[in-house]
Amino acid sequence: MIFDLLLAAALLWSAVQALTTPDLFRAVVLFIVFGLLMALAWARLDAPDIALAEAAIGAGLSGALLLDAVGHLRQKRRERSP
Amino acid sequence: MTDLYLTLAVFLLVNLLAALWRIARGPTPADRLLAALLFGTTGVAVLLLLAYAGGGAALVDAALVFALLAVITGAAFVRRIWREESNGHS
Amino acid sequence: MDILDLLSVVLLIVGAAFFLAGTMGLLRFPDVYTRLHALAKADNLGLGFTVLGLALQAPGVAAGLKLVLVWLLALAASATLSYLIARRAFAKGIVPWKPEEREP
Repeated sequence: MIFDLLLAAALLWSAVQALTTPDLFRAVVLFIVFGLLMALAWARLDAPDIALAEAAIGAGLSGALLLDAVGHLRQKRRERSP
Repeated sequence: MTDLYLTLAVFLLVNLLAALWRIARGPTPADRLLAALLFGTTGVAVLLLLAYAGGGAALVDAALVFALLAVITGAAFVRRIWREESNGHS
Repeated sequence: MDILDLLSVVLLIVGAAFFLAGTMGLLRFPDVYTRLHALAKADNLGLGFTVLGLALQAPGVAAGLKLVLVWLLALAASATLSYLIARRAFAKGIVPWKPEEREP
């Protein structure tokens, strides 16, 4: 019970922070953390296969792709204003 | 034993909440990423504890994927974002 | 409660203590290198003791070996990432933290 309440609070906090922070990299890291916590929540809800998919796709692959996108954006900005 | 597993899982989750503070503050990007890696490792431990507290053996597979993910995220960070020419503060 | 259960309880609690130490280190240590050190403690020893304590309770040999496999994968991931991050931090010119010299 305490576990579920703490998990829900952490999920809400990381989601709000990821949506409202102005720093792109920080938003991506918070998104990855949100994905990991969401996988824990699915595991808690007796859905281990969805937890597996959430951890692999939600946190892992899209996290890496978003990090790559942030890197490209920074490089473009650096080329435009040296 | 199940009570001990659940108590330890709650304890590790409280640890994770403390690490959220480092993500929110972290002066350099690497500090934020290190906290995310700690989330991965502690998530593995929590999943294993939940699996033996009656969650079923399939959760061990999810823990395996958690451990694999950390490499992908960290390598993408080091190769793509944290280059030499950019300064340490994002 | 037999001796195997007792050993398992002790190992699990030691593992949780190492996780606490890793988190405290991540919060309190001053720079990237020392925080990597704290993270390695949580990765290797914390997860290692937890896996050992759970493997004593595993229903069969195969299930126990699978737990150890998870730990080995986490070990390889942690070592590789620590090396990559520390090398890139050093190449970027981040100076390792030193305690301030006290005048005698």
